[in-house]
Amino acid sequence: MSPNLILPETATGHPLRRRMLAAAGALLLAGTYTALVLTQPTGLVDGLGQAVALATFAAYLVAALLLLAAVLPELPVSTLTLIPVALALNIVLGQFVGSVMVPLYLDSLGTVLVGFLAGRRAGAATGVLGTLIWSLFNPTVLPFAAGAALVGFLAGTAARFGALRRPYLAPVAGLAAGVLVGVLSAPVAAFVFGGTSGVGTGALVAAFRSMGDSLLSAVTKQALISDPGDKAIVFLVAALLIYALPRRLSAGFAFVRRHNVLGSRGSK
Amino acid sequence: MPRTCRLHPFTVLALAAAATATTVAAGRWWLSVAVLLACLLLAAWARRARRLAGLAAAILAPAFGSQLLIHSMADTAGGHVLAAAGPLRITAEGLATAGALGLRTGVLVVAGLLCTLLVDRHDLVAAVDLSPAPPQLGYLLAATLLLLPALEQRQRAIGQAQLLRGATPGGGPRGWFRRVRLRSVPLVLGALQDAADRSAHLAARGFPAAGPHTRLREVPDSAAQRRVRRIALACIVLGPVAVLAPTWAGAA
Amino acid sequence: MSTGPNRVLGLELARFRYSGASRDTLSGINLSLAPGSLTVVLGNSGSGKSTLGAVLAGMLPRHDGDALDATLHLAGQRIHHRPGAAVRIDPVGWARQVGLLPQDARHYLSGVRATVAEELALGLENAGVPRAQMHRRIAALADRLELHALLERDPAQLSGGQERLVALAALALDAPAVLVLDEPLAGLDAAVAARICELLDRLRSGGTALVLLARAVDRLAAGADTVLALREGSCHELDTAVPADAAPVAPAVRRAPGTRDEVLLGFSGVGIGYPGSARPVVEGLELTVRAGECVGLAGPNGSGKTTVLKAAAGLLCPSAGQVRGKSLAAGTVGLLLQNPSDQLFERTVAREVAFGLPRRGPAAARIPAVLDSLGLREHAQAHPYELPASSRRLVALATVLVREPEVLLLDEPTEALDADGLALLHAALAAVLDRGGAVLLATHDEAFMAATAHRVHRMGPAVAARVRDRTGGPG
Repeated sequence: MSPNLILPETATGHPLRRRMLAAAGALLLAGTYTALVLTQPTGLVDGLGQAVALATFAAYLVAALLLLAAVLPELPVSTLTLIPVALALNIVLGQFVGSVMVPLYLDSLGTVLVGFLAGRRAGAATGVLGTLIWSLFNPTVLPFAAGAALVGFLAGTAARFGALRRPYLAPVAGLAAGVLVGVLSAPVAAFVFGGTSGVGTGALVAAFRSMGDSLLSAVTKQALISDPGDKAIVFLVAALLIYALPRRLSAGFAFVRRHNVLGSRGSK
Repeated sequence: MPRTCRLHPFTVLALAAAATATTVAAGRWWLSVAVLLACLLLAAWARRARRLAGLAAAILAPAFGSQLLIHSMADTAGGHVLAAAGPLRITAEGLATAGALGLRTGVLVVAGLLCTLLVDRHDLVAAVDLSPAPPQLGYLLAATLLLLPALEQRQRAIGQAQLLRGATPGGGPRGWFRRVRLRSVPLVLGALQDAADRSAHLAARGFPAAGPHTRLREVPDSAAQRRVRRIALACIVLGPVAVLAPTWAGAA
Repeated sequence: MSTGPNRVLGLELARFRYSGASRDTLSGINLSLAPGSLTVVLGNSGSGKSTLGAVLAGMLPRHDGDALDATLHLAGQRIHHRPGAAVRIDPVGWARQVGLLPQDARHYLSGVRATVAEELALGLENAGVPRAQMHRRIAALADRLELHALLERDPAQLSGGQERLVALAALALDAPAVLVLDEPLAGLDAAVAARICELLDRLRSGGTALVLLARAVDRLAAGADTVLALREGSCHELDTAVPADAAPVAPAVRRAPGTRDEVLLGFSGVGIGYPGSARPVVEGLELTVRAGECVGLAGPNGSGKTTVLKAAAGLLCPSAGQVRGKSLAAGTVGLLLQNPSDQLFERTVAREVAFGLPRRGPAAARIPAVLDSLGLREHAQAHPYELPASSRRLVALATVLVREPEVLLLDEPTEALDADGLALLHAALAAVLDRGGAVLLATHDEAFMAATAHRVHRMGPAVAARVRDRTGGPG
């Protein structure tokens, strides 16, 4: 028997099944969000409140896992070795930034890098994986996996449509992504935890509440204040990092070549 | 020397998930406190109680502060006003809500962190590899956990190298930006280059596995544990339903 | 050179060019490997030998952007690559025929397993081999290669030589017909090198064809059947086994130390420790470096050589004694670190060297001269990461030299340097000494030490191995 040296032309796998999984994840996410916004459950700690908290937690987590299962099998090895690096960078650079007392998270830098270099699917997978791994150190982030997936997905989409071809476009794309991510993640903060992860953001929410907002709209407004700025900076930093990459490295990613992600910056 | 349990990682995770889900659904303060205490006792047995308390406090303190601010300082509904100043009202109901939310978050955080402290990293990776999850997941998990210390070390080396070259970023936002650039560019470049160098060799060694794959490492497991896992998994769904169904019936 | 049926791998390569590159990295190379043969490919850093290794191992071309025009014969099949229409290679199937040991064995090892045995089993695990059979095969491999002592070790705690042994063992597990080895002996001490040679001899006598990529003829290359010299990507076969110009001949720069007695750097009773380790790494160090003098630091791994250099550069504060010297106060001490990539962060070589210098200062005016003296002028606009390892090391040296340090500190300066790079390094050292500076260097390279140092300070044996974790390398 002669050994296999060459890959068959057609890719193996079940594209239909994966598309179904992705669709199921997106539908679950959209359905949960819509239901929460429409019904706006008021009780947080009565019987209904517990059920809403558990259901929101479970639905956001399951949706993220479905998206991951849909995307993971089709990522090439070059992307798979990139992802752990990006996740570790999320944490290491996040710590460094935290240590210089700038009030930003920047914990999605690696996710955005992967989105820029390897496309929206890889970005979404990185977001979910990063949350899963980060949850080993902080379990409260688990239900935010869907938001992280959206960050990676939007980063890949922005890169595909040319957000990296000019340096000033990247932060604009980041602003837009921040709005969407903030809106999507607000119900988790409101209905699962009844608050935010920091005292500063909590004070902001309290201020909106005292002006008569409902909890969800107060948390959403707070997210709309902090998220877009954060994501704009993350997108900008990630874009500058990618400009600093040697050509041979960035051109190694099929996504960068196919969609001419770097424009004229890449061909110098 | 910390003790570890020779349990299948999924057994630990399933038990923790079941306990958390049921406790959150019940929403009784004494049950939450009991679960928290049980977690701390288990951590003490594993000789990691101090670590668990430290890690949990670092996460819970700001979260609880936020909940207190939102619910007790700016409560709009409660009747028992304890203090009021302009738009700020501190009510008994608000404090109770904040306390209940804090306990809910506390159970999640402490139970989750306890799992991290009890489960052996390599066992967890092997368990993920042997599960029906996609074969890529185990590698991604393992690689990230092992890269972290390596990158932190490189980050220190880069800091020293830049000190040598007289890189003084200065203060203000520009200085901050320069510092981020000086620190992150060599780190990201080096790490991405490394990842690119590795990928061809990983592919040559058959990663990710196309078909069924095996692991040399044996993960401790037993028939009893498998039974416990099935029961715990059922409890994650059935526990909350059993606790909450009567309230719904009462409300309807 | 053998042809016909008795060959395990044949290569007829017209040209290879990386995606986006302006010239061919390889052109006009023909190779034919017989079972059990040893083929040596000699070439400087950047000559394209690693690229050739990757082509043989099926790892290049990576995608349609890389242009390869070549025909390979392997396992009775003929694989025909054309630019723009590269064949998609099955990496697993190819690796069962041709294995590649990279220069840095850590790139081969996955780094995610708890023990060496698990690391060895990675390929078998992915192929779905049952556990009992894996245990059997790994035990047999350990018997054959005498690796039992390593099997239960943590792969992250291995030395550089042991990493290479484990990677070779993992490659041997599949018994590929061809093994490509990228500088397998570089940077190893004699004992570990002997172990690797022995292992390779066993594989070779078992019928494995070896391809050795090397910068110079070493003990392994001495037994070669075929020697090819690679220059600028093209190849010519040599009839004589050892080419005259391949062995690096270090020009002797050692001359009488300057007569000036000025002490530029002095250690008196210096002890340096790291927080958390019980004993200091360096104790009671007495050392003076005078103007015009080149002093060598020798000693085994972990004896604190890097620590002394870092203290001399002011990066570490001694816990006892004092480091003094006029240069230290004036800030005219330059240190070349072992890993050049830690020091480099700009987009082009020119910007890299100019980093942090006042734009109109005297130092900035020196940049072209420094680049010239290190042979980097043509690379001035290249990205430092795209240069070959030897040139990258020289870029790091240029960033130090451009500041005209009075005391030049070098940590393993010959690592990754090829023969040309070595000659440039010698010239740079001579220039520093000539203008009244001093050099303090730590190296394992005895030949380099003998050729440059006026005297050698021997450091004691390793005090605390666990310090290695903190300093990030052999210290």
